[in-house]
Amino acid sequence: MGNFLTTLAISASGMKAQAGRIRHLSENIANADTPGYHRKSTTFEADMLRGRETGMVRAGPVNLDQRTLTRIYEPGHPLADDSGHYDGSNVDLVVEIADAREAQRSYEANLKMFDQARQMSQSLLEILRR
Amino acid sequence: MFGKLEIFNMAQNMATHAAGRHTVVSQNIANADTPGYRAQDVASFASTYSSNNSAQPIRATRAGHLSPQSAAASGARTFESSDPNSPNGNSVSLELEMVKASEIRQQHELALSIYSSSLGILRASLGRS
Repeated sequence: MGNFLTTLAISASGMKAQAGRIRHLSENIANADTPGYHRKSTTFEADMLRGRETGMVRAGPVNLDQRTLTRIYEPGHPLADDSGHYDGSNVDLVVEIADAREAQRSYEANLKMFDQARQMSQSLLEILRR
Repeated sequence: MFGKLEIFNMAQNMATHAAGRHTVVSQNIANADTPGYRAQDVASFASTYSSNNSAQPIRATRAGHLSPQSAAASGARTFESSDPNSPNGNSVSLELEMVKASEIRQQHELALSIYSSSLGILRASLGRS
């Protein structure tokens, strides 16, 4: 049974990390039109406990994308400079959607493993029941 | 008494092996987006079980003798699988892991059905239904 509990914990950590990634993606998409917004990207790293790898994963520190912001021409905008441009965000919606799809796929894979571990332990307990 | 019956022993080892491999596969899937992570796998049950078996005839009659258990425990080890890398150095392929997961599922079901059907045979031989 210990193996199954480890499996459940590992899959749960994977789902948690992917959920954090989706959260940052939705922040990016919501702020796609915010002037001066840098897109956030999530990193993943192996979870360590007392110097040893536990096999679990966690979302690491958030990185701000340092690409140049898009220049938007709108002379009437309060932030516009002398040339009539202001700094928009560097969010590319297509990239965000693709990233969200990938996160969803990984989340589903983790969920499937979680469910499989649950079913396997259940069929193991089924032996006790007869 | 029943622990010495070979078929129960084998079914138990098979289920344990499936559960252990499942842990490794779920670890691979959880780390599918971790940069630099290398996919791992466990040696197949067929190869580890036969090596477990060969360790059995050695008898420890004194305290100083090597115990067969320590040799058997090292039978199932993890090793890196040699799948192609993605640009961030990660070698996990979700599709491959899904295939492994269904193999594991099948192996686990097989072990449990072997166990329960031999339990049925044992019960029948004891005169209970």
